[in-house]
Amino acid sequence: MFDAIVVGSGMSGGISAKELCEQGLKVLVIERGRKLVHGESYTDNLQPWEVPNAGMVPEEDLARHYKIQGESFITAATQQYWVKDDENPYITPEGKPFDWIRGYHLGGRSIMWGRQSYRLSPQDFEANAKDGHGSDWPIRYDDLAPWYSHIEKFIGVAGDRDGLPQLPDGEYLPAFALNDGELMFKAAIEKAFPGRKVIAGRTANLSKAQPHHEELGRMSCQARSLCDRGCGYGAYHSSLSSSLPAADRTGNLTIVTDAIVHSLVHDPKTGKVTGVRTIDQNTKAHRTYESKIVFLNASTIGTAQILLNSKSEAMPRGLANSSDMVGRNLMDHLFALSVAGLLPNGPKDSFYHGRRPTGIYIPRFRNVTEPADFLRGFGYQGGVSRMGWRTAIGQPGIGAELKARTRKLGPWFTYISGFGEMLPNPNNRVTLSTTQVDKWGIPVVQVDCAHGPNEQAMTKQILEDGKAMIQAAGASSSRPPPSPARRALASTRWAPPAWARTRRPRCSTSSTRRTT
Amino acid sequence: MTIPNMDRRSLLESALLLMGVTVTAGFSTEAFAKAAASPKPFLDQKSFTLLSAIADTIIPKTDTPGAVDAHVPAKFDALLVNWASPEHRVQLAGAITKIDDLAREKQAKGFAELTPDQRKELLSAHDTAALKPVPRTDKLTGMRAMMAGPSVAEPGYAKLKELIVLLYYYSEEALTTELVYEHSPGGWTPSVKATPETRATGGLGMF
Repeated sequence: MFDAIVVGSGMSGGISAKELCEQGLKVLVIERGRKLVHGESYTDNLQPWEVPNAGMVPEEDLARHYKIQGESFITAATQQYWVKDDENPYITPEGKPFDWIRGYHLGGRSIMWGRQSYRLSPQDFEANAKDGHGSDWPIRYDDLAPWYSHIEKFIGVAGDRDGLPQLPDGEYLPAFALNDGELMFKAAIEKAFPGRKVIAGRTANLSKAQPHHEELGRMSCQARSLCDRGCGYGAYHSSLSSSLPAADRTGNLTIVTDAIVHSLVHDPKTGKVTGVRTIDQNTKAHRTYESKIVFLNASTIGTAQILLNSKSEAMPRGLANSSDMVGRNLMDHLFALSVAGLLPNGPKDSFYHGRRPTGIYIPRFRNVTEPADFLRGFGYQGGVSRMGWRTAIGQPGIGAELKARTRKLGPWFTYISGFGEMLPNPNNRVTLSTTQVDKWGIPVVQVDCAHGPNEQAMTKQILEDGKAMIQAAGASSSRPPPSPARRALASTRWAPPAWARTRRPRCSTSSTRRTT
Repeated sequence: MTIPNMDRRSLLESALLLMGVTVTAGFSTEAFAKAAASPKPFLDQKSFTLLSAIADTIIPKTDTPGAVDAHVPAKFDALLVNWASPEHRVQLAGAITKIDDLAREKQAKGFAELTPDQRKELLSAHDTAALKPVPRTDKLTGMRAMMAGPSVAEPGYAKLKELIVLLYYYSEEALTTELVYEHSPGGWTPSVKATPETRATGGLGMF
């Protein structure tokens, strides 16, 4: 019997375990995936020439195992972190694709997150009540602000205090400063659009590790930009580098891996949950763990799956689902809406040193300083950098001339990628299949999710505003024909080539709306 | 088809470096032929000779190592076994063969048998024509769409060249001579003075 069980060891599960353990509770963390060891399991020490297949996942593996995960930033160096879609199926209706990006291992998606860390604002907490979409939040920003601070201090977030009401400031380590190209971009945007700001991306990387970080074995960021492989320095917050070690040092933590949660045990006499039923992912052996409290941190969809599968005579629709709301109102931010271009007026005598783990951020301005014909708003992540050797790809030219051109610093290149808010819609929902089970006998998830008129209007505005800002900075941009978008985790570690893209975003999963 | 023996192929390429190499003239026909006389993991002898000649023409040895110095042909051959789909293998093999066909059509010799200057002249013209942008007909999604460039007249050649370029600029030889690469820069400095001599940085990521 444990005091508490935490289902899932990812971003929220790790923090839940830490907080509960530090309060003196004996905590069991149940993880469905395999064990990973901080540092030992990572691939961040591989030199570029040591990564198999020039970093590319074999094409037949992509086609067979990673049809969905392959839409994200999977590489040969990170392949181990992504779920094999064919072994973990889910169902979507014809014509309504949905990309569920997953990592089944200790630490979950916290190993592969984009680390961008922004607070919701007072305006965000009031939006449901004001426009009538979704239920009014039971709390307001001021209620949550101390907890934002608590977490920011613990995980370490690098950023500036920019004094913007729509993007509250937090407890920050020194920001990863803008380079000269970005300062030029910022000046141009803020001059052309007085209501818009370009700031340093706020990222959960230790720009300057503090003593309480070092106590956990974490060190300052070495500017390698290898975060997606796992960081042996512990320089970015993940469950493996940060929250689980903090939980473990209390002596109160027990971790079980390879244990897939089937359902929760509910006692109809007391009306309380008393435990968790699991299936060993390798042996398929069943086991029940008991506790006084259960925290479900199994991801948005995974948590709904567990609740819906926890049926009983007393609760035929699943646990805590008398309202039929479990699994409904699935949301994610709009993403992968990028505009890019070359900046011919960039400072030619300037470069930078190191590979930053973040870039620039343009906080929300629609329905803040500028009107919109849609509800809510969006921000942009992006960056400005000098093009390098990749200009040799796809461009005519061979021989000594190719080498001579490629070794030189290229022009400044910018891209910005919009991240917009999705409205709650009860028809965007997760249900369980009544006919199909996975290899552990658990009903397969069905995801029915689509964007509505508000998202479509926002998508159009994201691209139009993005193009206008790129052009205001002196760049020309172009767009390929529209094509369906799929999930790409927010990250500033990659950049699209020097042409803009317009794509129709589609539903997908993410952890929290402002944390990617 | 056999499992590629990278060490064996790399040794062969190392041996190439001792034969017929000048700073600007590229490798001799005899050197390619000698390399081709060795066991091949995927490409036959003729195709590997041809691939080596193409790689050497695209990225020759100059004041820094070239593609052959960086074992690009052997690594490319390994990609055909370990990475490429059957469709890509056919496409890439076709792109390699086409260059040889062009040489026979214009010079009545195989590409690998041409002088370095003749190889460069022929491949330059082909490179320009093959990489001419054309409207994209396929629909890409996700990161593929984010990372893909515009469609070109000859996608097979574009992929061939892309892989040769990638393999070269990811190599230890290129990253320690041609470009600058620090695995662990140690920190972020947002502004440093750049001069015309400042080298671009390399690495597996975009930044």
